[in-house]
Amino acid sequence: MSRIGVFVCHCGLNIAKTVRVSELAQFASTLPDVVVAKDYKFMCSTPGQEMIAHDIKQHRLDRIIVTACSPLMHEQTFRKVLAASGLNQYLLTIVNIREQVSWVTHDIEEGTAKAKALLNGAVYRSRLLAPLTSRVIDVNDDVMVVGGGIAGIQASLELANTGKKVYLVEKNSTIGGHMAQFDKTFPTLDCSACILTPKMDAVLQHKNITLMTYCEVSEVKGFIGNFDVTIRQKARYVDHSKCNGCLACTEKCPGKGLSEWDEGLVNRKAIHIPFPQAVPQKPVIDRDACTFFKKGKCRLCEKVCEHKAIDFDQQDTFTTVKVGAVIVATGYDLMDTKPLIQYGYGKYPGVYNALEIERLFNSTGPTGGKVTLRDGREPKAIAILHCIGSRDKNHYEHCSRVCCMYSLKFAHLFKEKTSADVYQFYIDMRAAGKGYEEFYNRIIEEDVKFIRGKGARVSKSAEEPDRLIVEAEDTITGKFVQLPVDMVVLSPAMIPRSDTESIKRLFNLSTDKYGFFMERHPKLAPLSTMSEGIFIAGVCQSPKDIPDTVAQANGAAAEALTIVEKDKLELEATTAMVNPASCCGCQNCVRVCPYGAPAFNETKRVSEINEALCKGCGLCASVCPSAAIIARHFTNDQVLAEMEGLMEF
Amino acid sequence: MSFEPKILGIACNWCTYTGADLAGTTRLQYPQNLRVVRVMCSSRINPSFIFRAFQLGADGVLVGGCHPGDCHYNTGNLYARRRLAVTKKILEFSGIEPERFRVEWISASEGNRYAEVVTEFTEQVKQLGPQTKFKISR
Amino acid sequence: MASSFKQIEDKLKTEAKKLLKTGQVSVVLAYGKGYDDNHPMPYIAKLPSDADNIVFNEYCTHNLARYLVRYPKGTKIAVAVKAADSRAVIQLIQEEKVKREDLILLGLPAYGMKNSKTGEIIDSQTTCGLYNPVLYDTLLGEEVHGQPVVSPYDVLAQYEAMDKDARFEFWKKEFDKCIRCYACRKACPMCYCDPCFIDQNNPRWGEKSPQSHGNLMYHLTRFHHLAGRCIDCGECSRACPVDIPLYLFHKKVAKECEEMFGQASGMRIDDKPVLVNFRVDDSDKILE
Repeated sequence: MSRIGVFVCHCGLNIAKTVRVSELAQFASTLPDVVVAKDYKFMCSTPGQEMIAHDIKQHRLDRIIVTACSPLMHEQTFRKVLAASGLNQYLLTIVNIREQVSWVTHDIEEGTAKAKALLNGAVYRSRLLAPLTSRVIDVNDDVMVVGGGIAGIQASLELANTGKKVYLVEKNSTIGGHMAQFDKTFPTLDCSACILTPKMDAVLQHKNITLMTYCEVSEVKGFIGNFDVTIRQKARYVDHSKCNGCLACTEKCPGKGLSEWDEGLVNRKAIHIPFPQAVPQKPVIDRDACTFFKKGKCRLCEKVCEHKAIDFDQQDTFTTVKVGAVIVATGYDLMDTKPLIQYGYGKYPGVYNALEIERLFNSTGPTGGKVTLRDGREPKAIAILHCIGSRDKNHYEHCSRVCCMYSLKFAHLFKEKTSADVYQFYIDMRAAGKGYEEFYNRIIEEDVKFIRGKGARVSKSAEEPDRLIVEAEDTITGKFVQLPVDMVVLSPAMIPRSDTESIKRLFNLSTDKYGFFMERHPKLAPLSTMSEGIFIAGVCQSPKDIPDTVAQANGAAAEALTIVEKDKLELEATTAMVNPASCCGCQNCVRVCPYGAPAFNETKRVSEINEALCKGCGLCASVCPSAAIIARHFTNDQVLAEMEGLMEF
Repeated sequence: MSFEPKILGIACNWCTYTGADLAGTTRLQYPQNLRVVRVMCSSRINPSFIFRAFQLGADGVLVGGCHPGDCHYNTGNLYARRRLAVTKKILEFSGIEPERFRVEWISASEGNRYAEVVTEFTEQVKQLGPQTKFKISR
Repeated sequence: MASSFKQIEDKLKTEAKKLLKTGQVSVVLAYGKGYDDNHPMPYIAKLPSDADNIVFNEYCTHNLARYLVRYPKGTKIAVAVKAADSRAVIQLIQEEKVKREDLILLGLPAYGMKNSKTGEIIDSQTTCGLYNPVLYDTLLGEEVHGQPVVSPYDVLAQYEAMDKDARFEFWKKEFDKCIRCYACRKACPMCYCDPCFIDQNNPRWGEKSPQSHGNLMYHLTRFHHLAGRCIDCGECSRACPVDIPLYLFHKKVAKECEEMFGQASGMRIDDKPVLVNFRVDDSDKILE
């Protein structure tokens, strides 16, 4: 016999609108073992929580059912109420009548009927719940940050400044990310490098940060508080412990590869640092471009290196570090616009993508900051095409958020650096952000032409072979526009990094339909993920500008800190155990467990589960033919009872 | 009065259950015939749960898990896929309409798809009529 | 030229005596006398002299792999294996219930085994239709050749063609006959759970008295537990006192598993049982 209390929440009208809450409470009071059933406007409010606490005492309740929103919202809230009232927190059951009932129907009859069935199921299950004891584990103090763009840099610095040790892992040979490629930043037009490079340097100098460039995460084991992350240090062919960064090697090197940094607009050496302010200031050899690796001869770099730092035999190495939390800040790629043949990117030399333009403006860029076409001409007319591949049902439905603003920035810089006419082809101008609307107004004043219509096609001009024709429908005048220009700038969709899949697998993250990492809750846990102890920041979560990215990075750092600040952490107690009396020794559990938690005891001829390794998925319980495995909190009898309750009404 | 089927849902916590929440958050409307049991992973589902559901009078059973490759527990749903496929073959050979049992991969971001699947499956089960073969008469 | 049952029996006796005498094994699993010639029984020879009691005739259908799991780990056992017995041994090796190195498999090539109840010859209609052991150390007789190669699944066609309602009625009638004596699971070499799920009380998976729904739950779940493991020896059906054609259902599940996962049970010791295994590229079509 248990003593169940049922607490039905109205959630204002969120639930009460399509579920008759008092009728539901009345119904609950007729169910077996239910001692008290109440409804209340906001059960999660302080008075609501106090009511539950009070009733636990007064009615000596030993099971609590809260009929409210999703357990993913408030399970923790109510578990705390139970714990504070001296009741084991696992004796709580949440019935989700908001997200899965009241919000998905307009019909109060249907809603009420379904809520009753769900509640009945919960009562059946609740009666069979058992108190569980949480496991307490030690927490590692250190944090790993994956991705060395502005998000990763910011998060690392914040954490390191609190005294935590940070491992910053970057796959490229320098940190800095996309922000380091930019010339100016909107809307303030301050120089990107001027604000970023001091931070890059601070990372390098910081005693609490271990900078791991040219590295990739290759394996992640463990769980919140205790991750074992294996890092692959890709072979640089330069021993950085010997290299003093004199860069004599880069001067002599005859090998050439496309500069990733300059978006492939120019070549760089095979042995190179990506850009002058790169951090660290030590080169790597690009195997594919290196004359020695290609032809077996050269080794000029080796000859000029006074410190004998060149090592052609260097291999990838692996190191495993222990951390308590991880921040994933892997950033973005620009969509490849070549397949969008209507825009002629890759076909017409006059068509550029936005990052290439960033480099053209930049004094360290391929043209030394002069805006010239690939053939050296200065453009007379420039069209900037917004929303290429984004806000497009055929490609990416999402808005990339920053393109309107950087397109305005481009317009300004074009005006500053050339005498060209500048045209913006846009669907809508989106200038929501501090100082953004003002910036938009300022650019309008700068004699930039705005044509409201998405660029439809770029083709070669028939009359002037050097020029391009941009076609669009001007949706304000309703007229078809054909505009001759010299340069076309595409603002492509920002999309997740090409290696998102592997990052997702490694850290057990989910992604949305575009591949951006899913947050635990879109509003209330935007930096947490479904994997405890793993946080996300920056554009890998969704497109955003630098201020938002930095804010997220600080937030993620704070989130990580809340974990690694603790000495001990309580883990979910919902692990599996073996009832040795029923174990038939088939070892199915041992074969299937992804975590190696079950092991076969050869002496006793039964399986045993190591709870420290168990993550509570319940797979072992379902493959156990003799039902010897008890998946705590989701036991066979609990699930069957809930099913029975659900099917009764 | 038209036949309103009772459908049992078993959804994994990380993907389908969260997707179902998302359907609610975005106020998508779908039929109320489905009652969901939350489990941590679709691999938790014992074949006997499915047989039992039909015995308890379910007119249809819908299992929802993460897309293969996206399992929160890495490989759980890959085992589930095989085990539930066999469950379905057993149901079919025993003479119950296999259309009454469906497994769908619905991610946490696919609220739309969740609503679509529930709507479509409810309609399908409605067409099949009441499930009486396994149901234990009380 | 296939060997006669008598010839095989003699070789089995000789071999058993030799193995026990040399101490290579402590147990020989074979067949012995029953209450008449039509009902021989599994026989466990432990002394060299026991070997004289060994019998092998066309009614020795029992799957001797059934008895392997009784012995403590490391016991050296010789076991007489017909085709099906050998497949069961392979399956048990896959499941790590027995170790290959602890076993000496005495292969019995045998065509013409008979169902002691009906006297009918046992072929692919009710078993896997193999007549030579798949795995053995010594083959005690000539391999059987010349029997028509028939798919063990051909027999399913008429049941698969049935209307689903008719099929349900067919199985309902059959399962309703079940008296829950559990001879099927006692005869089954793969049913080694103790306790069986159906004997448990918490939860009660199904009614234990012979009622429709408990019977259904027991049999369907058992089919699932044996999916990809059943080696189609047909012993369950022969053991059944009320003649439920369990073999049909097992064949169907085996067929589906073979089609979906590309692996027949009990054929190779290196295989992993299909339901505790997966391929990343398993098709979602299997769920349709």
